[in-house]
Amino acid sequence: MNIDVAKRIPLITLVGPPNSGKTTLFNYLSGKNFKTVNYPGSTVEYYTCKIQDKYNIEANLLDSPGIISLNPNSPDEEVTVNSLYNHPEFGVPDLVIATADSSQLSRHLLLTKQLLTAGFRVILVLTMRDLLEKKGLKVNTDKLSKLLRCDVVTVNGRTGVGIDDLILKIEKNLKGVTNNHFQPYTLSNELSKENLITLYSEIEDLTRAVIEPIETPDLEKINKELKILNPVLTEPSLQPDLFTLKLDRILLHRRYGLLFFFLIMTTMFTSIFWLADPFMTMVDDFFSYMAQTSSELLGNTWYSHLISDGLISGTGSVLVFLPQILILFLILGLLEDTGYLARGAMMIDKPLSKIGLNGKSFVPMLSGFACAIPAMLAARTISNKRERLLTIFIIPLMSCSARLPVYVLLVAFLTPSDKPWFGGILLASIYLFSIISSIIVASLINKFSKKLIKAEDNSSFILELPAYRIPKLKVVLKNSYINALHYIKRAGPIILLLSLIIWFLTYMPNHSPQIDATGLNQEEIIQLEKSERLATSYAAELGKFIQPIMAPLGMDWRIGVSLIAAFAAREVFVSSLALIFRVTDDENIQSSLLTAMQTATNQETGEPLFTTATVIGLVVFFVFALQCISTIAVSRKETGGWRIPILQLIIFTSTAYLFTLITVNGLRLLGIN
Amino acid sequence: MKTAAELKHGEKARISDINSDNPSYKRLIEIGFTPGQEIELVNTSVFDDPMAFSIRGTLIAIRRNEADCIILS
Repeated sequence: MNIDVAKRIPLITLVGPPNSGKTTLFNYLSGKNFKTVNYPGSTVEYYTCKIQDKYNIEANLLDSPGIISLNPNSPDEEVTVNSLYNHPEFGVPDLVIATADSSQLSRHLLLTKQLLTAGFRVILVLTMRDLLEKKGLKVNTDKLSKLLRCDVVTVNGRTGVGIDDLILKIEKNLKGVTNNHFQPYTLSNELSKENLITLYSEIEDLTRAVIEPIETPDLEKINKELKILNPVLTEPSLQPDLFTLKLDRILLHRRYGLLFFFLIMTTMFTSIFWLADPFMTMVDDFFSYMAQTSSELLGNTWYSHLISDGLISGTGSVLVFLPQILILFLILGLLEDTGYLARGAMMIDKPLSKIGLNGKSFVPMLSGFACAIPAMLAARTISNKRERLLTIFIIPLMSCSARLPVYVLLVAFLTPSDKPWFGGILLASIYLFSIISSIIVASLINKFSKKLIKAEDNSSFILELPAYRIPKLKVVLKNSYINALHYIKRAGPIILLLSLIIWFLTYMPNHSPQIDATGLNQEEIIQLEKSERLATSYAAELGKFIQPIMAPLGMDWRIGVSLIAAFAAREVFVSSLALIFRVTDDENIQSSLLTAMQTATNQETGEPLFTTATVIGLVVFFVFALQCISTIAVSRKETGGWRIPILQLIIFTSTAYLFTLITVNGLRLLGIN
Repeated sequence: MKTAAELKHGEKARISDINSDNPSYKRLIEIGFTPGQEIELVNTSVFDDPMAFSIRGTLIAIRRNEADCIILS
């Protein structure tokens, strides 16, 4: 039998500079059937798909992060360039589709020219023709195709006009493809300064030759034709979008710019919490209902508890943050699509650079307020390794949404019932405190980081400020969906596994505790059993083991157990407290728990356990401590080793402990108890 | 020798060379700052750094020290 009969499917790689319309084109060609894959041997993701059935072409399509030239400048860019030269899975592409913004032709042709020099078979796709047309210009694609010696197609990203033409060109180009692979030239020489400048002047000649005025059938026509005969267009040097320039005068204003920036950010944060809240309650209610139903169905057995408390509640704790993550990415996507996010990064670059970060750290840090995991992934766009590692390092200090339920409980404890506004101010202060302390930590780490973060110091900030545009909701929605999916895939399994381990520690070995059930109803019996189980579990043993560490904080082993349990996911702290303080009222956990907290006494000293001092101490602990195994796992992946995650764990958790110690005892000394 | 870092708001100038002492010089060329091009300083950040230049029909923000290696004619 001839195995060679199984014909290899051709590979098409899609490349282009950032903002060149690459993603829109990918969406047209892929339909919805794309999948995200990790680039082998690295953490960067790319997309692959088969070209949509309706186009009748059997080919793999690969999309990866945008590049400006074949000389990579960040981990993202490196992956794209490597995938062109030799993808570990697919090999060298049979065809490269390069996108270029028509209104940015002189800049975007650099990559196409390099690809052609390297020997790739290229189709050039010109996008955003409408932007050029607004300026009364067009590209003569036939001429461009002849001059470049490759096929050139114009595609309208909004209407899809031109896709059919592109498909025909793809078919034509793939016809000549054999299974014998060519090896593209490496461009080391061509990337020198002189060669780059020469290449650019060639491109300038080229664009001068192919950009023409649009002929209009009116009186102006004669003038235009005269101009063509005697070209005044010495070069098609275009003006940036006028609306963008005008809007920038307001949004990047030297005095009010920062005000707008804070206004936009505040609106964003408030809406994340405000919009996500009902959905989070829905997810929470759903999983509580599922857990309750399954426990009722399976009875009071260990496997029933495993399924309802371990598995279902564990899944719930993964999914409860999904609304916040979705909304954060939706808003971030909208801001990015309008073009504002790049301006935000520019505005904040100077202060961030003072503490060893970069304006580009701004977006990852912002994402950190929803969840550290996608935030760490977002740090890949930072080209400087040191700045990227430092950004990843401090992301766990951003007050992620998992801390919120803990803060809400602790703030409720501190808030007098007749002054509810006090709670709002407290919560805002906690966020402010966490921002300020992360800035301090970043600058400290930066100062001593020569030893902590070993990487070259070659900081730069070069960022295109795209023209302001009305965002494409469809694209933004899709990207938010992809990001949310990433979160579930990356964090989900780890959180679930940990939930199961924590369940085991808090349930075993005593799986049928002896309790006095006289005068109690069925529900109360179950709750009492649960708390009895916890009080005699391995976790309690562990808690008693760390009692000497908890004592200086004015806390006892029960808070210790809850803190251990919170390592699975921070919000577990609340439910473990509820268990350990035998809160039996299922309907209103928060208020019953608060009552229990107010009356609880330290088992060692007999003094009240939860005082203003210890509760503020707990807040401080949660601000700093790295209590999230998934973050550690992702940090390991993104930094390529255990060094940084272990340092993060040690530094943040010991800082948390130390500051809690200082806070609790300091407050006591001041007479606040 | 005037550099792009010394431009005033709204001032236009032509690039004559890129100083290759700056580690970012290649990226600056790749992104479009090439000799012969006209640039205009359109914005600076609130903190006076980075600066946003209009070049080749787009806006590009770079740090002051990067602008300092763009030599003007």
